[in-house]
Amino acid sequence: MTATIVAQQIINGVVLGSLYVLVALGLTLIYGVLVQINFAHADFVTLGAFAAYFFMHLLGGSYLASIAVALLVGALLGVAINLAIFAPLRHKGSELLPLIATIGVSTMMQNAMLAVFGPVPYAFETPYSQRVFRVAGTFFTEQSVIIVLVSIATIALLYAFMKFTFLGKALRAVAQDRETAGLMGINPNYLIMLTIVLSSALAGMAGAMLAPVLVLTPFAGTSVIVKAFAIVIIGGFGNVEGTILAGLLVGLIESFTTQYLDPGLIDIVVFGLLLLMLVFRPTGLISERREENV
Amino acid sequence: MSDAVAVGPAYRSSRRRLAFLFAALVIAVLPLLLTSGYWRTNLTLCAINVLLAIGLDFILGYAGQLNLGQSAFYGLGAYVSTLLITKFGVHFWAAFAAGVAFAGLAGMILSLFAVRLRGHYLAIASLGFAVIVHQILLNWISLTQGPLGIYGIPPPPAIAIPGLPPIEFSNQVALFYLVSAFALLAYLLLDQLVRSPIGEALTAVREDEISAQSLGINANAWKVFAFGVGAAVGGAAGCFYATFVGTLVPDAFFITESFTILAMVIVGGMGTLIGPVFGAILLTLLPELLRDIGDLRLVVYGLALTLVVLFMPGGLVQGWELLRRKFAGARVAGGR
Repeated sequence: MTATIVAQQIINGVVLGSLYVLVALGLTLIYGVLVQINFAHADFVTLGAFAAYFFMHLLGGSYLASIAVALLVGALLGVAINLAIFAPLRHKGSELLPLIATIGVSTMMQNAMLAVFGPVPYAFETPYSQRVFRVAGTFFTEQSVIIVLVSIATIALLYAFMKFTFLGKALRAVAQDRETAGLMGINPNYLIMLTIVLSSALAGMAGAMLAPVLVLTPFAGTSVIVKAFAIVIIGGFGNVEGTILAGLLVGLIESFTTQYLDPGLIDIVVFGLLLLMLVFRPTGLISERREENV
Repeated sequence: MSDAVAVGPAYRSSRRRLAFLFAALVIAVLPLLLTSGYWRTNLTLCAINVLLAIGLDFILGYAGQLNLGQSAFYGLGAYVSTLLITKFGVHFWAAFAAGVAFAGLAGMILSLFAVRLRGHYLAIASLGFAVIVHQILLNWISLTQGPLGIYGIPPPPAIAIPGLPPIEFSNQVALFYLVSAFALLAYLLLDQLVRSPIGEALTAVREDEISAQSLGINANAWKVFAFGVGAAVGGAAGCFYATFVGTLVPDAFFITESFTILAMVIVGGMGTLIGPVFGAILLTLLPELLRDIGDLRLVVYGLALTLVVLFMPGGLVQGWELLRRKFAGARVAGGR
């Protein structure tokens, strides 16, 4: 019986965790290349979720297509925030100004969405949330299978892109040393744009998959993003492998805290871990093994 | 500018004294001019927000530490003082002192992270701290009554001065005078601090920590100090907020409140004390003046924050300087 409960919570944790990984990877990518934080990332998640919702419920699109729509919306938001915030502020060389500006964008987007969509939660039903599989006492929906598979596929694609394509290598080169990469004929402006668009597309897409799991309100992204921040720090800022590991860890913490403690304690546990990490291992979970992994 | 008059320190300090007198006069007159309960409420909110903004600015603008946890200190001050009053029957001013001290202590604890981290890491650590405090207020139901909130918080007890009628703080005007007098006092104190060698030490840490340390400035000690003072001022704002509104719910101290306070500091002009005062007043009143927009109050905050960072990172203070220089330039040109 307890084994079943544990197995069930592992399943729940992995489903949640893979969504958190998608959100957190976007933050980590931007940090790796730009050394900046996009606070509006959360609202890209939310707007992606709403885009998917309206694509399905107003236009009658399929759920899988709505994930693509959300991805597109995220990518467009990425273009916009790069043009409006990151590109003009990059030359001022301040570490904190872009962060503060994106806090402004986030506040603006969140409350604009509140005015447009209202505070009442939307019920995001997909045809896949009804179909339930039962395996050895545990159960999970087709929706969660889709979430995990799409997340794994996206992460694998991203990984392959970074490792094997020229663009991916150029991206890592810019992340390592922007000046030298520029001397090698790589246009950093173009690659920074690409990074922000990629990461925002990930956020939008994660929104479409999160919405059926969480409560869809204009603030849906905020609860996710604070965990995503915790994940990128626990995993080591800019470290992709660490982010994946930390994302799954936070998903598991969330499901086990809900089962054995109290759902109200989730954020306290996650951020307690974050603060402990910052004190004892500010470089993240797998910083030491990083060299082996390259 | 060539038109700069030689300004001696004596002249500057007498001008400063005049400015304080003028500010005190404005505070004294305002509630007499604005007689509706609605505007008097806004005035008191302005005074509370001024406290929050100058507290954050001391940490952010002077010590250079991006603290996104000001909402936590605000909430701790409010809850600690209120719980002492309502649960333990502690006298208001003792509870006030305890709330301020507790918030200051929490700031010093958070600064222990600032000692090890900087920039983005500190921003997220302080945000995490604010999330934890909010969640504790929400979930420690036996103490805080969680989302149900605490109701019927009494105003500060009346002060009896012999020979005069007692000052009742259930009176809106009296409470406004109390809060704004405290805000003016806090401003005076911080103003003295930042213009003293302590302020120079803080700015040195902000500008270049390593150089500051090589000059014998203990950067970590100053960060602890800045966080302690800034958080205590935020805690004082919380105590006043609780007694002014009479109701406490944890969501008043959600992390978005930190962003609102940040907007006040940035819009006003971080790294100056006078800027955040006007930033706080502007951002408190602006949404009220634009009442038609209703729900869009926070959209205005976000927009103001973004536009200021993009186009005028020095905030209102920078705008004022630009205007003044333009005016002075025109005067010089006209006098030729």
